[in-house]
Amino acid sequence: MALTRRQFVLGTALSGMAIVSRPLLANPSGTETVSAIARGIPSTGETIPAIGMGTWITFNVGSDPYLIDQRTRVLETFLTAGGTVVDCSPMYGSSANVVGAALENLQAHDRVFSASKVWTSDQSATREQTRSSLGKWGVARFDLQQIHNLVGWQGHLETLREMKASGEIRYIGITTSHGRRHRDLARIMETEELDFVQLTYNVLDREAEERLLPIAQDRGIAVLVNRPFQGGQLFRRFEAKPLPDVAAEAGVSTWAELFLKYVISHPAVTCAIPATSKVDHMQENMAALYGNLPNASQRQELVAYVRSL
Amino acid sequence: MRTDVWTTYSLQDLLMFGPEVYLRLCVRLNQDFWPWQLPVVVLGLLVPVLLGRPEASLRRLAWLAIASAWVLSGAGFLLTYYSEINWPAAGLGWAFVVQGVLLAGLGLRSVSRPLNPQGRRFQLVWWLTVILLPWVTVLESGTVQALAVFGLAPGVTVAATNLVPGALSGRQGWLLVPIPLLWLTFSAATFWTLQVYWLLVLPVVGLVMLVIGYWLSPSPAQSLDRQSAHHDPAHR
Ligand SMILES: NC(=O)c1ccc[n+]([C@@H]2O[C@H](COP(=O)([O-])OP(=O)(O)OC[C@H]3O[C@@H](n4cnc5c(N)ncnc54)[C@H](OP(=O)(O)O)[C@@H]3O)[C@@H](O)[C@H]2O)c1
Repeated sequence: MALTRRQFVLGTALSGMAIVSRPLLANPSGTETVSAIARGIPSTGETIPAIGMGTWITFNVGSDPYLIDQRTRVLETFLTAGGTVVDCSPMYGSSANVVGAALENLQAHDRVFSASKVWTSDQSATREQTRSSLGKWGVARFDLQQIHNLVGWQGHLETLREMKASGEIRYIGITTSHGRRHRDLARIMETEELDFVQLTYNVLDREAEERLLPIAQDRGIAVLVNRPFQGGQLFRRFEAKPLPDVAAEAGVSTWAELFLKYVISHPAVTCAIPATSKVDHMQENMAALYGNLPNASQRQELVAYVRSL
Repeated sequence: MRTDVWTTYSLQDLLMFGPEVYLRLCVRLNQDFWPWQLPVVVLGLLVPVLLGRPEASLRRLAWLAIASAWVLSGAGFLLTYYSEINWPAAGLGWAFVVQGVLLAGLGLRSVSRPLNPQGRRFQLVWWLTVILLPWVTVLESGTVQALAVFGLAPGVTVAATNLVPGALSGRQGWLLVPIPLLWLTFSAATFWTLQVYWLLVLPVVGLVMLVIGYWLSPSPAQSLDRQSAHHDPAHR
């Protein structure tokens, strides 16, 4: 994806936040414009939409033509609603191939901010695995290449730096999830030059608020948030319950929106990457890219309400 | 800092696909294999009859059918379809091929006599398994296209043929137990994690079949039906 994303307009109240004006295609007249929420990547100032898309489990459908077509519709819905960031990994089975097939079907290679990963303990295999993933996605280079779960991170980081310097990738990141190895990640964030980190953060799993998110803000590191729905668990637990009274004021009309807006309203968060296999869920999730965000006190109310359930 | 790939994952994290995708594998297999499931199932239904026949050639055919069912579900379902979405399925696919070879080897060696004198019960249990068990995938998916056909779908193939180790004389039957047990454990863990509870019937029935196979075994020490074991000792 090109560095200058023409639709994005910089400058909002929250640090690093931008507003994107684009036609809301759901509107039959096609004329009304709404503002999508976007955030700046601290290391460059480039903005990306604050809701992205994950592919773990949901895009691992093998070579099934029916399911590939269905996932293509999911990606299409995502892109139409203004999303760009797509996250994948060699760990996710056939997901990268399916992302590649969907991009090919939609001819949308230049519409995504491609975020891949290196996932091997062989620290000399960084380039080889990146090349293999590029082939599956069908893109010329990745916007972001991340080290998956800190696996072999020292060796990979060194190579990724060389690759970034030579223009083979645009940004470098490192990931963790499920609250694992936060101490290790904090040390890496404090001592290494990183563009991105990826970590788990949601309305129930808030450990990142204590240390990692403040470090990211201090050090100017963009944050991708995985498992914003706790792998779907949040819906199973709360979906049947009513939304809190504060929801409407906080710009929230569904549980999906509540979960996602809670995440992206943290000022250190750059982008949440929820995953879904369904078009209607994608539409619901992408609604969180628009409208108001909860302020600090509303965030606290949301957490208190969810915890009270 | 630890850099090992696997130690950071739990079983839940290793599940790489959803229930819909698994059930679609059955649908695709049936679509791609059609209409060959018809002769495969007919042969599968004939297996217990052939095993009890006095003609060695027919018994040989039955053993080859059992062995082929394993090879086919290993090379077909596991290696060709399932391994695309779940890496361990490739290893299991090869294990199924090995089990097919073992079954052929051990079966053909024991072909000098009909399987056992309690063929009626063996037949009945076998037929019930091959006819009823395939429907669990239909119940789970809601489409008849997902029918788990004997000889193609590993769950039903393993369940029915788990009657066989107990029916083999001597200790050799035990050689046939580890790979089915591995599959039963793997599939039970997968279905449990996927929360496709109807499909748990497959490994449960598979395990029950293994026990029933030994229970129906002609050995007086193992068989509850000592009466019939006494009647026809020469056929053991
Ligand atoms: N270490 C790492 O690098 C790491 C670790 C974990 C995750 N990740 C990345 O982060 C992404 C997101 O995490 P995740 O996939 O584990 O979990 P998640 O996004 O928190 O949850 C995904 C689950 O939520 C359900 N869902 C989504 N939208 C929904 C809606 N509107 N209503 C009801 N249910 C909905 C999905 O089911 P449906 O399909 O039915 O919608 C799916 O089961 C991953 O896909 C992956 O790209 C990275």
